[in-house]
Amino acid sequence: MLGFLTARQSGLDDPLRLRRAESTRRVLSLKLNPDRDVDRIHGNGINTIDIEAVEGRYMLSGGSDGVIVIYDLENYNGKPQYTCRAVCTVGRSSRYVHKFSVETVQWYPYDTGMFVSSSFDKTMKVWDTETLKPAEVFEFEGNVYSHHLSPIARKHSLIAVGTKNPKIQLCDLKSGSRIHVLQGHRAEVLSVQWSPRYEHILATASADSKVKVWDVRRASGSLFTLDQHNGDKSKASSEAVNTAHNGRVNGLCFTGDGLYLLTTGTDDRMRLWNSATGENTLVNYGKVCNESRKRLQFTVSRGCSPEFVFVPCGSSVAVYTLHTGELVTMLRGHYNSVDCCEFHPDYQELYSGGKDCNILAWVPVLHTLDVEEESNKGAAGQSSVNPAFQDAWSSDED
Amino acid sequence: MNRKRALISDTLMAKKRKNATEKFGAVSDGPTDIKSTLEYLMTLFPRKLFNDTLPQIALKHQLYSIHSDKTLVDKENKLREKGELLMFQLGFDAEAFGLIFASDYKTKVLAGEEGKVTRAAVEKFLEKVLSSCRDLSFTKDKMLKEFLFTDSEITQLVKSGVLTVRDAGSWWLSIPNSGKFTKYFIQGRKAVLGMVKKSKYSEVLKAELEERRTTSQVKFHMKYHIHDIVGAELVESVPTTSGILLRFVDS
Repeated sequence: MLGFLTARQSGLDDPLRLRRAESTRRVLSLKLNPDRDVDRIHGNGINTIDIEAVEGRYMLSGGSDGVIVIYDLENYNGKPQYTCRAVCTVGRSSRYVHKFSVETVQWYPYDTGMFVSSSFDKTMKVWDTETLKPAEVFEFEGNVYSHHLSPIARKHSLIAVGTKNPKIQLCDLKSGSRIHVLQGHRAEVLSVQWSPRYEHILATASADSKVKVWDVRRASGSLFTLDQHNGDKSKASSEAVNTAHNGRVNGLCFTGDGLYLLTTGTDDRMRLWNSATGENTLVNYGKVCNESRKRLQFTVSRGCSPEFVFVPCGSSVAVYTLHTGELVTMLRGHYNSVDCCEFHPDYQELYSGGKDCNILAWVPVLHTLDVEEESNKGAAGQSSVNPAFQDAWSSDED
Repeated sequence: MNRKRALISDTLMAKKRKNATEKFGAVSDGPTDIKSTLEYLMTLFPRKLFNDTLPQIALKHQLYSIHSDKTLVDKENKLREKGELLMFQLGFDAEAFGLIFASDYKTKVLAGEEGKVTRAAVEKFLEKVLSSCRDLSFTKDKMLKEFLFTDSEITQLVKSGVLTVRDAGSWWLSIPNSGKFTKYFIQGRKAVLGMVKKSKYSEVLKAELEERRTTSQVKFHMKYHIHDIVGAELVESVPTTSGILLRFVDS
């Protein structure tokens, strides 16, 4: 690290390089921290979490009991020991709460005044955060597995919804219309994701083992279907031609720059695709255990070099290097299977939620105090207050 | 000062890797390139069992148990491109690919065809198709138009075992008389996995497993099966102070 610092100081290296090195070092040292806790509100498993993009301060979580909770992640009390408190809850007593389990929640990408949640009670609700009442309710014919709002859209405000029906519906937030439908899949659509690079590109994953990439401005079908054998039809059995996985595809994630797409399937494999050409990069991650019958929420780090993928694998979270497929570590801590995880890019923290009703925060291990330093601090009689909060400019004389 | 720019990943992760392997000196310096690894795996294949009629077969995922970087192993296509190595879809698993050295394959197949009617067609196939095409399966169109085989010749090829039916109008490239191999292989794999599963805590040291007496079900060399189950991730390979421990993975 000192080498990086010196290079930055003398101007040999780009400032971004030092930032990336430090982010990578922090991600490599993620551990469960006894000082950081998340309030336990859910009485049933947690299906989905989302951290808002604007400040990275508030986190939404949706549970199997239909409850939605908003947590405040910031630590302003000056002490290292901190519990992320729940700011507000849409609990079972609310009139507007979802009847069955909430499958996906997402903040409105531009501010925290609104969030969208979709659930197995066949509805998708657009909530006003202040009053916690739904401003709009979209109803569907089948269970809603997943929805996504484009994080960069300026020209449209479409929500892509994947339901039990093979057709993907696009709901418009501005007008409330749902006429736009994307046809092409043959079985239920388990996951949808907009590209973070182009606001009109959408990727969808379905139980028919196919992943399709669409341009929503196009009237005819999908742009292309991802093929795990890259067109080498001889390698697979004839049913497996043009499929992304040999089983249901239940997880989709674009990398931060939108250039690559990751997919996971029930054939226990994870594949990395070039999102522009649809080519399988053939990175071999090995066996990525996947038994989920619903959507699997996994995430990619941002701002590190190399990038890491965090995938829930049974009751732990597996961390792989994105481009080489090497397993870096397994984060163990949950008591039951993990359903979702989300990366906080500013602090390089990982939050994961699972069936054991806990959200665990994985925090980079900072410099641990030596025993001598600790006893000195104790002797001084002061509680360990962060020097940034200490009053260093007012004088005692006045 | 070192003016060369190292990758951030190398700087941060190199230290970690060195620690792990030095701590448990169980990691043996095996052969570092794919060809020598394959040759080593071929030596584990029992030739006597099949009366020398089958060429020596190694499985692609056995390579993963020896080389730690799977992506590099996959990308190492030079041997296949040069035509020295042939890959086959073995049929019992969508991801199990068998690897045979091309020279081995040709000699064994021609030896098996001695005095048979199908010999001419097989020779033609080996010369024309194997030297130019790297595919695992062939469609009828391709066979008729590109390689100019007639229908009757294709029937002869299927009869001799070089092609196996895949679908209406397409065939897999296959190894003649490999049915016995597949049967013994699956039997042996099941038996070895059973041995690991029945051990206390479903785990056993690799060295101990190699020493164990094999039942009559296991016809191949124990090491061959161990490389197979480790590479296919049916058991988890844990480095310990007493050597490598194989733990059964519940799936």
